[in-house]
Amino acid sequence: MISFTVNGRPAAVAVPDAKPLLDTLRDDLGLTGAKECCGKGECGSCTVLMDGEPVCACLVFTAQARGVEIITVEGIGGGPEQLDPIQAAFVAEGAAQCGYCTPGFIVAARALLDKNPHPTAAEIRRGLAGNLCRCTGYQKILQAVAKAAEGRAD
Amino acid sequence: MSVDVRERRGEGAEAARSRGALIGQSPRRLEDARLLTGRGLFVDDVQRPDMLHAAVVRSPHAHARIQGIDVSAALALPGVVAVYTAADLGHLNGPFSVLIPHDDLQHGRGLSALAVEKVRHVGEAVALVVASDRYIAEDAADMVAVEYEPLPAAVGLEAAVAPDAPLVHDGVPSNVAGHYVRNVGDYEAVRRQAHLILKERFRVDRGAASPMETRGVVAIPEGRGLTMYVSTQAPVALRAWLAAWFDLPEMELRLIAPDVGGGFGPKVMMMYPEEVLVPFAAMRLKRPVKWIEDRREHFVATTHEREQVHDVEVVVGADGTLLGLKTNFLYDSGAYSPYGIQIPIISATTLPGPYRLRNYSVEFRAVYTNTPTVAVYRGAGRPHGVFVMERMMDRIAEALGLAPMEVRRRNFIQPDQFPWDTGLIYQDWAPCKYDSGDYPALADRLERMLVGVADEVAQARAAGRLVGVGMGFYVEGAGPGPYEGVRVRVEPSGKVQVATGVGTQGQSHFTTLAQVVAGELGVALDQVHVVTGDTAAMGWGIGTFASRAAVLVGNAAYLAAQAVAEKARTVAAALLECTPSEVELRGGRAWVGGPAGAGEPAGAGGSAPAGARETVRSLPLGEVARRANPLRGTLAFGEPGLEATKFFSPQQSTFPSGAHAAVVEVDRGTGFAKVLRYFVVHDCGTMINPMVVEGQIHGGVAQGLGGALLEKLVFDEEGQLLTTTFADYLLPLATDIPAIETDHITTTSPLNPLGIKGAGEAGVIPCHAVVAAALEDALREWQVRISEMPINPCRIWELMQR
Amino acid sequence: MQVAGEFVFQAGRDAVWQLLNDPEVLGRCLPGCEQLVPVAEDRYAAKVRVGLAAVKGTYEGSLAVTDKQAPAAMTLRIDMKGTTGFVAIAGRMLFEAGEPDAPAGGEGGVASTRVAYDWDVKVGGPVAMVGQRVLGGVAKWIIGEFFAAAKAELAARGSAV
Repeated sequence: MISFTVNGRPAAVAVPDAKPLLDTLRDDLGLTGAKECCGKGECGSCTVLMDGEPVCACLVFTAQARGVEIITVEGIGGGPEQLDPIQAAFVAEGAAQCGYCTPGFIVAARALLDKNPHPTAAEIRRGLAGNLCRCTGYQKILQAVAKAAEGRAD
Repeated sequence: MSVDVRERRGEGAEAARSRGALIGQSPRRLEDARLLTGRGLFVDDVQRPDMLHAAVVRSPHAHARIQGIDVSAALALPGVVAVYTAADLGHLNGPFSVLIPHDDLQHGRGLSALAVEKVRHVGEAVALVVASDRYIAEDAADMVAVEYEPLPAAVGLEAAVAPDAPLVHDGVPSNVAGHYVRNVGDYEAVRRQAHLILKERFRVDRGAASPMETRGVVAIPEGRGLTMYVSTQAPVALRAWLAAWFDLPEMELRLIAPDVGGGFGPKVMMMYPEEVLVPFAAMRLKRPVKWIEDRREHFVATTHEREQVHDVEVVVGADGTLLGLKTNFLYDSGAYSPYGIQIPIISATTLPGPYRLRNYSVEFRAVYTNTPTVAVYRGAGRPHGVFVMERMMDRIAEALGLAPMEVRRRNFIQPDQFPWDTGLIYQDWAPCKYDSGDYPALADRLERMLVGVADEVAQARAAGRLVGVGMGFYVEGAGPGPYEGVRVRVEPSGKVQVATGVGTQGQSHFTTLAQVVAGELGVALDQVHVVTGDTAAMGWGIGTFASRAAVLVGNAAYLAAQAVAEKARTVAAALLECTPSEVELRGGRAWVGGPAGAGEPAGAGGSAPAGARETVRSLPLGEVARRANPLRGTLAFGEPGLEATKFFSPQQSTFPSGAHAAVVEVDRGTGFAKVLRYFVVHDCGTMINPMVVEGQIHGGVAQGLGGALLEKLVFDEEGQLLTTTFADYLLPLATDIPAIETDHITTTSPLNPLGIKGAGEAGVIPCHAVVAAALEDALREWQVRISEMPINPCRIWELMQR
Repeated sequence: MQVAGEFVFQAGRDAVWQLLNDPEVLGRCLPGCEQLVPVAEDRYAAKVRVGLAAVKGTYEGSLAVTDKQAPAAMTLRIDMKGTTGFVAIAGRMLFEAGEPDAPAGGEGGVASTRVAYDWDVKVGGPVAMVGQRVLGGVAKWIIGEFFAAAKAELAARGSAV
C-alpha cells in the first residue's frame, strides 16, 4: 500500500510503485480533474501540488507520493458553490473555454500566487509558461491571475 | 472594446435589439463552475467497473504491403481479451464513403477501419488490441507481429505529382484525387492590357490543430443497445453514420459528445477508424471498451492540414487597381480524401478577399501523398487564400511605390456594393456572394489603432532593433448550412431546457444559447439549461465547424424560443382572461395588465409590486407549462406543454470580415521573431456575447501566430513524421503571445433573423499574411521575400545570411 | 539520414578486411549484439539490444554483406525490427591503404588502413518519432563504439601473433 494525503484526506492505494501518479489519482481515487494531454511533462494539464510544489502528475511515480501532501484541482476552493479567488477570477474574465487545460492552470496559478502573492505581469507569464492552452491565447487567463492577485473579487 | 453598430439591412439588428437585452451582453459563463473545479466530464473521465481498454497497432511505414499479421503472441499475454484485424471486421471494415463528394473529386478514397493489403501512411491503423487495462493493451500492441514489404513513398507535393512518383492508390494516375478549374471574367484578355504583371510562388506547410484533449471513444453496451461517448464535433451526424454502418436502430445507439477538450476541425472528421473499432469490440465482447488516443498517436492518427503550393500571377493597372489574378495550386490531401476537396475549394473562394476582383482564374489539383490524411483545421483553407492575396497586395504596393493600405483602399468593394457576387460557388454549393460588410470602415478602425505605432517602430529601428509592421485583410465564408435545430421546452419547475444536436468544444454554447432563449422567454439566465451533443436529447444536427454554431444554432434557438413564447402567451392569455398580445413574459412569469415594463417585480418569483394597478396579474411560467400539459381533460392548446423545435437553414453562407496588424521584432543574433503587438478589427455581425467573441479571436490569433512562427509538421523523405511531441511541434506558450488589441464594427447579416455572421475561425485567418509582411518590414535591410509559412527562427536566420 | 565518416586502423588493408569480415568479430564489436548467427554466405541473423535514450529496445533482423571487392570495398546492409519500430542501414564501406608512417628509428613503418563509410540510415515507427533529435548522436555513438572495439580486437590479434 502507498499512503499519502490528497486534498486534506488520507489515501492508501495498492498499485505498482511505477504507476503514474496521474493514473492513480484518476483511476484509483476518482479524481479526474487533472488531465492527460501529452503524457510527458510538456503541457501542464496534469499539474498537481506535491507538498506545495507544482508537478506534472504524469511524470511522477505513485511511490514518490508516499507520505506526501497532494492537492488537486478538486481541492482548490470549496467546489462549484464556493470558488477559490483564482477560479472566481477565471469566471469573471472568461478565462476558460473548453476547460481541458484549465485544472492545470488553476493549480499552477495557485502555486504561483502562494509563492509570490503580488507577481508582475511578466512573472505571471513566466509562471504559467509550463502550461499549454490551445483555446484562449492566454490573455484572459493572465488577466484572471492578475485580478486574483490583486484580490479583486469580480 | 467599442462596438459600432451599422445596420446595412436593418432587420437583423432590429431583432437582436428588440429581443431581450441579453443579446450583446457578456454574462459569466454557466459552464465555468464545473470546468474550473475539475468536475467536467470528458471522454477519458467516463469510468465503468468492467471496462476494457483498447490500443491500436499502427503502421511504422509510410507505404508498405502487408504480408502477414501474427497476433498469437499478443493474444497469449495475460489480460489480453481480443485482437482484431481487418479480416475480423469483414464488411464492417470499410472503406467508408467519402463524406463530401464533388464532381471535381474524380478519385475520392475513403478511410477503412483497419488497413487491408497496404498501409499508406505512418500511423495507419492495422489491428486493435483489447485488454483488461491500458498498459497491457499497449504492451500487447507491440507484440502483434506485422510483416511489411516496404514500398517507395510519395512524400511532398511536387514530388508526388512528378512523372515517376510512387502511386498512393492503384487507379489514381499521378496521385491526383481531384482537379478543379474555374474562371470568372476573362483573365487572359485583361492580361493583354496589363500595366504591370507580378508573379510569385507561395508555400504553406503542414500543421496540426492539436487540441489539448486528444481523440477518445468509449462504447458501453447498455440495455438493448450501446451508449457511446466520443470526443467529436459532429455527434448527431456520427450517430447516424454509425447506426447505419452497424445496421442498428438509431434508438439503440445513443452517442454523447460530453465536454470536448478543443476541436478546431479534426474532430469533425468522421468516421475515424476507432469510432468503428471501439463499438465493434464492445458489441463483440459485450463489455464497455475505452480507447484514448495518446499524444504521439494523435500526431499521426488525427487529420492534419495546411499544405499548399500556389503559383500566382496578378495583373495591375497603373493606379494600383487589381485587374486580374490567376493561381494554379497543389493541395496535399494526405493518404485519403474523406473530406473531398472542400479545403482547396475554400482556399480558391476565399482568395478574392475584400477586393473587386473581376477577372480571376483558379486551378488546383488535390494530391495524394503517403502522409496522414488531411481534413479541416480552423481556417480550413482560408488562411492560404488570404496569404496569397495579401502578399500580392503588398507586392503591388511595393512595385508602384504606394502605401500598403492605399493599394487596399483602391481595391475595396464599397459598402454600397453588397450583396457582392464573386462569381464563384462556395463550399456549401451556394453562390459565394458577400452578404454585408464595410471594408473601408475596417481600414479606418485599423488605422486608428495604429496611430503612434509608426513612431514606436521608427524609434526602435533608430536604436538598431529589427522591428516591422504588417497588415492583412480578409473576408471569410462562415455559417454554412444545411441546417441546425433547437428544441426549447419550459418545464413545470419553470426551468427551460434547450437541446441542440451540435457538440461544444469550448465555444460557450451553454451560455450564449441560454442568452438567446432567456431573452425571448423573459427568464433568468441560470434557469436555462442547455444540452449539447447528446443524441438522446436532440436527434437532428450536423456539427460545430466553419464558424456556424452561433449562426445556425443561435438562430434556431431564437426561432424555437419565439414559438414557445408565442404559445406561452396564448396559454397564459386563456388563464388570465386576456388576449395573447396583452401578455408579457418577464421575470419568469407571464404578466397581463399595466404598462409594458412597469411594475417590474424583483427577481424571478416576484409578485406584483405594491402600488400596481389591481388589474396586474401574473402566473409563473412553469405553471403555464403545467396547464398546457394537463393530467385530465383534453388538450386545449394544440400540442402538449410549452415546447417547440425549430430548424434554421440559410440560403447561403455569411461573410464576416476583418483586418489585422502586427508589430514584430526579429533578434539580430538568432533570427527569433517576437510579436510585440497585435491588432484586430473584426466584423462578425451581431455578437451574442462579446466576451465570448473576444475569447474566440484571442485563441484564433494565438493559433495563427503559432502556425506562422512555430508550428510545422516535418516529414523525412520516407514519410516518417519527425515532430510528434510538443518539444518538436511547438505550440505557443503564454510567453509567446502578446496582448491582443481588439476592436469591432457590426454590419449585420441580412441572411438570418439575428444578423449573426460567425466568429470561430476569424482570429487565425490572416495571421500568415500579417506576420510575413511584418517580418519583411523588420528585415528590410536584407530585402528578404517571405513567401512561405510557417517560418521558424532557423529559416529567418538563413534569410538574414544573404 | 546519411551517416558518413571514416576510421583509421593501424594495420594493413588485408588484416582490416579480414577483421571486418569475421562474424565473430562483428558480433563481439557491435554494441549490444546478443546474437549473430550465419544463415547463408555473408548473411546473418542478428539480435541487438540498444539501451540509449528513446532508441531503447531489442531489435531482431538480418545483417548482410554484398558487392564484395576484397580487400577494397563492400556493402553492408542491416535490417532490424523491434517493438519500437525499425532501423534499416545500407551503405558502402571503402578500405584504403594509407602511406606507412615514416619511422623515426629507420625500420619499416607501420601500415595503416582508412575505412570510409557512407551509410543511409532509415528509422521508422515510434523510434523515429520520439528519437529523431537524438538519432544522429546515437548512430555516431554506436559506430564509434564499434570501430573502437574492432581496433581493440586488432590490437589483441597483433599481440597474439
